[in-house]
Amino acid sequence: MPKLVVDGKEIEFKQGQTIIEAAKEAGNTIPHFCWHPSLSVSGNCRVCLVEVEKMPKLVIACSTLAAEGMIVHTASEKALAARNAVMEFLLINHPLDCPICDEAGECKLQDYAYAHGVGESRFVEEKTHKDKRVPLGPNIMFDGDRCISCSRCIRFCDEIAGAPELTFVKRGDRVTIVTYPGRQLENPYAMNVVDICPVGALTNRDFRFKARVWDMSANKTICQGCSRGCNIELWVRNNEILRITPRQNDEVNSYWMCDHGRLNTFKFVNADDRVDGPYLRREGSLAKVGWDEAFAAAASELKQFNKNEIAFIGSAFASCEDNYMLREFALNVIGSRHIDFMRHSDSNFGDEILRKNDITPNTMGAELVGVTPAAGGLNFDGIINSINEGKIKALYLIEDDILSANPELENTLAKLNLFIVHSSNFNKTTTLADIVFPAAAYAEKNGTMVNFQGRIQRLMPAVATLEQDRSLDGMAMSRLDKFGTRFDRWAKGNKRDVRPTWKIILSLSAAAGYKLIRQAQANMAEDIFEIMSKKIDAFKGLDYDKIGEKGIMLKIDVAEKA
Amino acid sequence: MEKIVLPDIKDLHLIDVYIKNNGFNAVKKALLQKPDDIIDQVKRSGLRGRGGAAFSTGLKWSFMPKTTDKPKYLCVNGDESEPGSFKDRQIFEYNPHQLIEGILITCYAIGAKTAYVYIRGEYHKWIKLFQKALDDAYSQGYVGKGMKTKFQTDFFCDIYVHKGAGAYICGEESSLMNSLEGKRGYPRVKPPFPAQFGLWGCPTTINNVETITNVPAIINNGWEWFSKIGEPKHPGTILYGISGHVNKPGVYELPSGMLLTDLIYNYAGGVPGNKKILCVIPGGSSMPPLRGDKIEGVKMDAESLKAVGTSIGTGGIIVMDEDTDLVKVLARIAKFYYHESCGQCTPCREGTGWMLKILNRILNNEGSSKDLDLLISVASNIEGNTICALGEAAAWPVKFMVQRFRDYFEKRVSPEVLIPVANKVHSMRHTAFPIADIKE
Repeated sequence: MPKLVVDGKEIEFKQGQTIIEAAKEAGNTIPHFCWHPSLSVSGNCRVCLVEVEKMPKLVIACSTLAAEGMIVHTASEKALAARNAVMEFLLINHPLDCPICDEAGECKLQDYAYAHGVGESRFVEEKTHKDKRVPLGPNIMFDGDRCISCSRCIRFCDEIAGAPELTFVKRGDRVTIVTYPGRQLENPYAMNVVDICPVGALTNRDFRFKARVWDMSANKTICQGCSRGCNIELWVRNNEILRITPRQNDEVNSYWMCDHGRLNTFKFVNADDRVDGPYLRREGSLAKVGWDEAFAAAASELKQFNKNEIAFIGSAFASCEDNYMLREFALNVIGSRHIDFMRHSDSNFGDEILRKNDITPNTMGAELVGVTPAAGGLNFDGIINSINEGKIKALYLIEDDILSANPELENTLAKLNLFIVHSSNFNKTTTLADIVFPAAAYAEKNGTMVNFQGRIQRLMPAVATLEQDRSLDGMAMSRLDKFGTRFDRWAKGNKRDVRPTWKIILSLSAAAGYKLIRQAQANMAEDIFEIMSKKIDAFKGLDYDKIGEKGIMLKIDVAEKA
Repeated sequence: MEKIVLPDIKDLHLIDVYIKNNGFNAVKKALLQKPDDIIDQVKRSGLRGRGGAAFSTGLKWSFMPKTTDKPKYLCVNGDESEPGSFKDRQIFEYNPHQLIEGILITCYAIGAKTAYVYIRGEYHKWIKLFQKALDDAYSQGYVGKGMKTKFQTDFFCDIYVHKGAGAYICGEESSLMNSLEGKRGYPRVKPPFPAQFGLWGCPTTINNVETITNVPAIINNGWEWFSKIGEPKHPGTILYGISGHVNKPGVYELPSGMLLTDLIYNYAGGVPGNKKILCVIPGGSSMPPLRGDKIEGVKMDAESLKAVGTSIGTGGIIVMDEDTDLVKVLARIAKFYYHESCGQCTPCREGTGWMLKILNRILNNEGSSKDLDLLISVASNIEGNTICALGEAAAWPVKFMVQRFRDYFEKRVSPEVLIPVANKVHSMRHTAFPIADIKE
């Protein structure tokens, strides 16, 4: 491979790479604002000016191709002088409103001002003024004063979202960004511009002014919005999810996620209608009971039925671990062969970018762990028919609001003699349930899911529960979490009495007198996965460490599964 | 002295008059030769671009790829928006057919089938005049498909007039191309250069109007003839546009290398009231100015001007007499570049406004000696750090005017360092103590 020298260190590069790309791969990130690895090069911010020996002028590292034997200095006197000069130019008209700016703490301009600014201003004139608080679309607010005209957002809309909605207008230091007349910034991926905006010019209307970034913790997990399984981070303060941002994974979602995933997949976790503790139906309405009472009730109720009268419905919203334990319970404890799960598809949702028509995160995982009818068992439609015919009298359902998905099921479910539901929130389905177990939401548990590509990825908890501690269980901690006291307003948090489905099922089988798993040490989701990895071919040889933060492709024929 | 670009022939803008005066013979002659030979002749003639950079025209043409599956284009830059520059419009008005003939020869030499003449939007009159000339040339078969029968050749090319939308920056070659493509007039990051990636990503040559108008004469009279006119390193005639404090302002076509004083005193009739010259800008407002007491013996060609720390630019000479308010001049020039900065890249976008604000402050007698250093520093920080040459265009007048007229500027600023009052008040506003109580 050809080589060039950056700051005295010889590094290899691929033909066609620019200096900034080659240096980045070698671990030397040259300061930049407008350059983004997956957008076109615009070369306008001029912060990446570097000195290249034998070149008459400084060149921008983002557009200059690396060449064999090239000698680059990113911190020579000339390069530093240029960088300081550009930083000064960027700052003269930039408002000094970091204390009230949402971007503060994750602002490239702020970071570079610390690193490369001269520390004092020679600018005594009045700063330029542009429009503030301009809603560019339903979810994005624009502050013209803060904008450094790097054009990342414009290029994102043109090149990634395929929706040219933004443009520059005016000239010189009057340049600002607007939507085209009669249009809004409202493409399904629009909010990514908030992430790539290097300053606080574009802010998330759903999140702005809610929290300082350093007051939140960020935990890595995967999006629940569809079967893509975009890698994300959940930002939590006071045990409440405040926002979701995408996390880079070139194999899955690059740097992006869609607005649906960003806005609609976390609020139910914070919602007031969470199932907080187990509930039993008494005299027609659901009443909160203790765990032991709920397990005992469920175990004795299930014993009232013949094994062929009980059916199980898993969930493409639940993890592999949850679905696996349900299957084990159905087949080995109850002895029922009737197990399946509901498919959720929306032909209007998918697109050519990230979104998939399968709007559940774990269809493939549920299939792989065997939440499909056992030999001679009924599938989902068969189970529904049999309930209508009175052949199936008890239904055990996990983590799926099937009634909202298909309101026609209401009469069917009403016919059941026993209906046990695991649910994170009260919903239409739970209104018909006899026993409701409080299931941990995806943000409250460890687990795995398999996306449409056949890639297994990990769920990692971001929200603490009564049985899962933020610090003891290794979740990311914010400064408030680490250093706050119980007197702090934002260090208390609402911890809910919920458990992951697999754990509930384990306890339930114990209450029913069965030892579902021989190993008594099944304390963690990881232990369940270890059992699965021994029994399920697709998971063979895998463990949580191997799956890691970015997931791993399973050795399965995806086309066949799909 | 023979004039090449603007000969003294009555009604030369009419196609019949042009044809009678040896018109379209050069293109006939050129079409019988190989394109590479044409490029070679232009290269040997020493013709250098008249748009400002004075780059060798033949060399530029030779950068065009010989083998490509893309169409090639010629752009003719008639944006002429540099203050002090008003020569191209003379060509549109008085000798448009020689420009057309030059375009045909250039297209043949570089293998382009299409040429665009980009004319400054404010030049309504000259756009009409040139369009009329072009229509006449088309109707007589000198341009377009008619060339095949007219010249008995397989080669033909089309010429289109494109009207600019009123931006100085569109005279910069790459933003001109963006503008032609219907995009915002933003300069492109170079490399790639136009010969590789020009109009619509295709190989493109872009030349100034005056440059192209010289080409037919080179083909007719031979490169040796041309190379012997004026200064050997920058041969040919130059359209000197003289304006400002002179008795006879105007465009004068004269050989390169004329003495600046000769131009001002002999051709432009000297300074009104016989006043002394304070300052001369030799090549349009963006070029470094010269002190009036340093213009003796200065020759007007690229190399000689480089030696005295300025540049030929477009040959637009601006003369300022001793009563000129240089601070006002500089503030006005700075205002122009502030207004015309496209705003794409940081140093120019932010720096032009900053320099203007400082200069306005000095105009209002609120400047200090330190501000002069600041001006030079800001200008130096813009220079060389931008995408296009507008950075230099904005920085040079400020930097060199302040440097070369430091004594003049020092008289206009306070020797003390002024701390702006606004800032003082601001910092004190929120203290609990009365200002008088705060000891130094």
